[in-house]
Amino acid sequence: MSVVRLIARDEWRLMVRNRVAVIGLCLTVLLTLVAIATSWTHQRGVADLRARHQAAASEAFDAQPDRHPHRVVHYGHFIFRPLGPLAAFDPGVDAFTGNSMFLEGHRQNTANFGDVRQSSLLIRFGQLTPAFVLQVVAPLLLIFLGYGAIARETESGTLRPLMLQGASRAWIVLGKSMALGAVALIVGAPAMAGLALIATQSDTSLFPVLAIAIGYAGYLALWTAAIVLVSAIVHRRRDALLALIAIWAVTVVLLPRVAPDIASVRYPLANRIQTDVAIARDLRAMGDSHDPDDRHFAAFKQRTLARYGVSRIEDLPVNYKGLLALEGEQMTSALFDRYSSQSFATQEQQNALVRAIGFLSPTIALRSLSMAAAGTDLAGHRRFLKQAEAYRYSLVQRLNRLQAEGVTYADDNADDAGADRRKRVTAANWQAIPDFAYRPMAGSDGAIAALSGLAVILGWLIAAALALAWATRRLGTR
Amino acid sequence: MGDTPVGDALMRIWMYEARLLMRSRLAAFALILMAVLSIAAVIAGLWEVASQRAAIARIAPAQADDIGAVADWIDKAKDPGSAAYYSFHPTWDAPSPLAFAAIGMRDVAPYILRVRALGLEAQIYDGDVYNAELALPGRFDFAFVLVFLGPLFVIALFHDLVSGEREAGRARMLAALPGGSRHIIWRRGMLRLALLSTTLAAPFVAGAIWSGADGVATLTIVAVAIAYLAFWAAITTLVSWFGRSSVANAAMLAAIWLMTALIAPTLAHVAINQTIPVDQGAEIVLAQREQVNRAWDIPREETMRQFYAAHPEWADSPPLPATFHYKWYFAFHQVGDEAVAAKVRAYRAGLERRSQAAAALGWILPSVGVQAILTRLAGTDLIAQLDYQDRVRAYHRRLRNFYYAYMFRDRPFGKADFGKAPRFSQD
Repeated sequence: MSVVRLIARDEWRLMVRNRVAVIGLCLTVLLTLVAIATSWTHQRGVADLRARHQAAASEAFDAQPDRHPHRVVHYGHFIFRPLGPLAAFDPGVDAFTGNSMFLEGHRQNTANFGDVRQSSLLIRFGQLTPAFVLQVVAPLLLIFLGYGAIARETESGTLRPLMLQGASRAWIVLGKSMALGAVALIVGAPAMAGLALIATQSDTSLFPVLAIAIGYAGYLALWTAAIVLVSAIVHRRRDALLALIAIWAVTVVLLPRVAPDIASVRYPLANRIQTDVAIARDLRAMGDSHDPDDRHFAAFKQRTLARYGVSRIEDLPVNYKGLLALEGEQMTSALFDRYSSQSFATQEQQNALVRAIGFLSPTIALRSLSMAAAGTDLAGHRRFLKQAEAYRYSLVQRLNRLQAEGVTYADDNADDAGADRRKRVTAANWQAIPDFAYRPMAGSDGAIAALSGLAVILGWLIAAALALAWATRRLGTR
Repeated sequence: MGDTPVGDALMRIWMYEARLLMRSRLAAFALILMAVLSIAAVIAGLWEVASQRAAIARIAPAQADDIGAVADWIDKAKDPGSAAYYSFHPTWDAPSPLAFAAIGMRDVAPYILRVRALGLEAQIYDGDVYNAELALPGRFDFAFVLVFLGPLFVIALFHDLVSGEREAGRARMLAALPGGSRHIIWRRGMLRLALLSTTLAAPFVAGAIWSGADGVATLTIVAVAIAYLAFWAAITTLVSWFGRSSVANAAMLAAIWLMTALIAPTLAHVAINQTIPVDQGAEIVLAQREQVNRAWDIPREETMRQFYAAHPEWADSPPLPATFHYKWYFAFHQVGDEAVAAKVRAYRAGLERRSQAAAALGWILPSVGVQAILTRLAGTDLIAQLDYQDRVRAYHRRLRNFYYAYMFRDRPFGKADFGKAPRFSQD
């Protein structure tokens, strides 16, 4: 065993003597620290800003004067997606999805004002976060430090003397792997410390943090094994370096970009105009509230009159206009749900295809794992949209009920001088409506969502370890 | 050139060098891969642009269906206000012929937006449906292959141009030749650059011709691409000249590439967004909504006074009746928009400054500069998005005036009038 340590120490000594390598390592560690600092301030700033906006919107909603309930349906409500603490480690799609939404009656609006539309083209180069540094930069640094680990010995012919001196092949490979693995630890440590800091500064559940930590540790271990493997197979240092850079470029840079293109061609997504027109068409087929002779609404009227045992809508104890609004909202809302489920089903198919390509690129697997655990993936955005729609529906229906029960049918149709005053209900009603409270993902759900990515990375790690064992056996036999 | 003896000899030397180059497995592999990637990127870009065009082409039938249904029931009461309220009008931003080369923001910013004559500030920031996880890593287009992958290929082909001869022990012999080794290195470098540029740019030029792009813009992009590759070739040769072993050079160059193509832009992004704060767009929308809804709680005449002050051409409209009138409704929407005009200008100016800052950075960081030039020429950058918004604003103005002419003059709005509504046109 001491031979292994000897070989590892020798390798380190060489790395330390390589000034470029040391500078590279220091810069990467520095970059990680900068990434943690900026990403954390950014996350805090964004979370504060959205909380402030949310408070202002809620205050404005509560501060409304006495109004007709239907006015408030159109005044609507603004909600902002809060940003979880783990977004400081991996913000995922946060910048690419809108984070504020206007909720109103009969319409489902888009989430707007994502950072991507408020920033220069630089945002498409990537975002400086601890996740980015570990996913993209760290493997390249390990390549620079490790490509020659064994290839150097093979090329300069020092491998055989080493073996003649009594170092077994396994010890040599183990020692070199240990040396590079230690560098990987140094590279990964600051980001992991940052992750721990983020986790302790907030009430984050431990499971997703663990999933992220294991995922990135496995990823760096995989690169370490792969680098030593290539260095053992390839006999020339230059070839080892170029091969590794090519592998890195394909799996880290190229495939993550190609995979989405394949997915969007394979599963085309309906755009908004298609969906809006289709919803309008379906709605007309179900019933047209503008048409007095419409069958759906005629039947609704008959049902309502029968339920209250009266023969004229004027005799109803509640405001028929409010009941119509309730019915109409229920119809549109069901359609919104259906079309949004369809759209998300397609997006899920797209993402599943990308994840399948993730079997070829551990970086894709790691990225999905990391976002899923941090709650910043598409599923996280959908969680927000779903809760937003549920809140919108309950808000609008509550207001419609207010119209049905708080405004009489006669007043609602009146247009005399005092009618406007009589149509309004008291402002206390707005304050009684509960604010939107986003329920973040349960920590265990994040960890479970990360499992598939974790499995891919660990699978790759095992494969790389087996291949390394095979390469070890034929080391120096050529 | 081939019929003079000197030309003949020159030609033979170049052909010999080319054969020598292709005998290197690495060089041949790199050139073939470059061609494959460039062709794939151009096809992917053309595909994306074609699907965007197809989506734009689908607007007309969908719109006809939708507006037809609205017209059917509006025709009964012929109320222009209801017509204006319920009619959505499509606008679109067709991709330029060069958009295939740099998709830019076109995958995250809407290129189709339907608007009503109501307050525009509540409509213009709406997005389209897209899968954010697919957008996150960026597009695979020609710009990506050029900006990100191009330098790596240059490094693969150039890093041992000088040091390789040294390592093979031929450097001294070459230096002793008439003209010295510089001559040979220059020739080999030019040959590699020419071959690499051709494999990279030829698919792009083919794509540009296919989509009928402007010749000058196409040639500008080709020139920029060659200059960018030449820049990296120069750096690589420089490092190779002063560096030690081929392998150390390759590592050094890949590190330089990592810094300039990946790390520096992300740092600059943080810096730009910090130093140029932009009032969140959400604040505009919140303020506009307060203004619009306030109208229900103040005397209606006050709103009309404000509206007529800004739009005197409608001031001679009859006074509001005691009952609801749509002209008041549309007036307070417009007054709400105008109340936030200053905020909108500031927001837009902030976005422009961010874009300009990134473009200015392009003078220092070639990767950013090339991306900026490509997205500008392709009309797919932030500025192009703002231009589209300007066109939507101008169209919205025409649309409002069209409906105002009915509402403020109390003219009935029949089925035939739907066809008279102004149509959006790209320019």
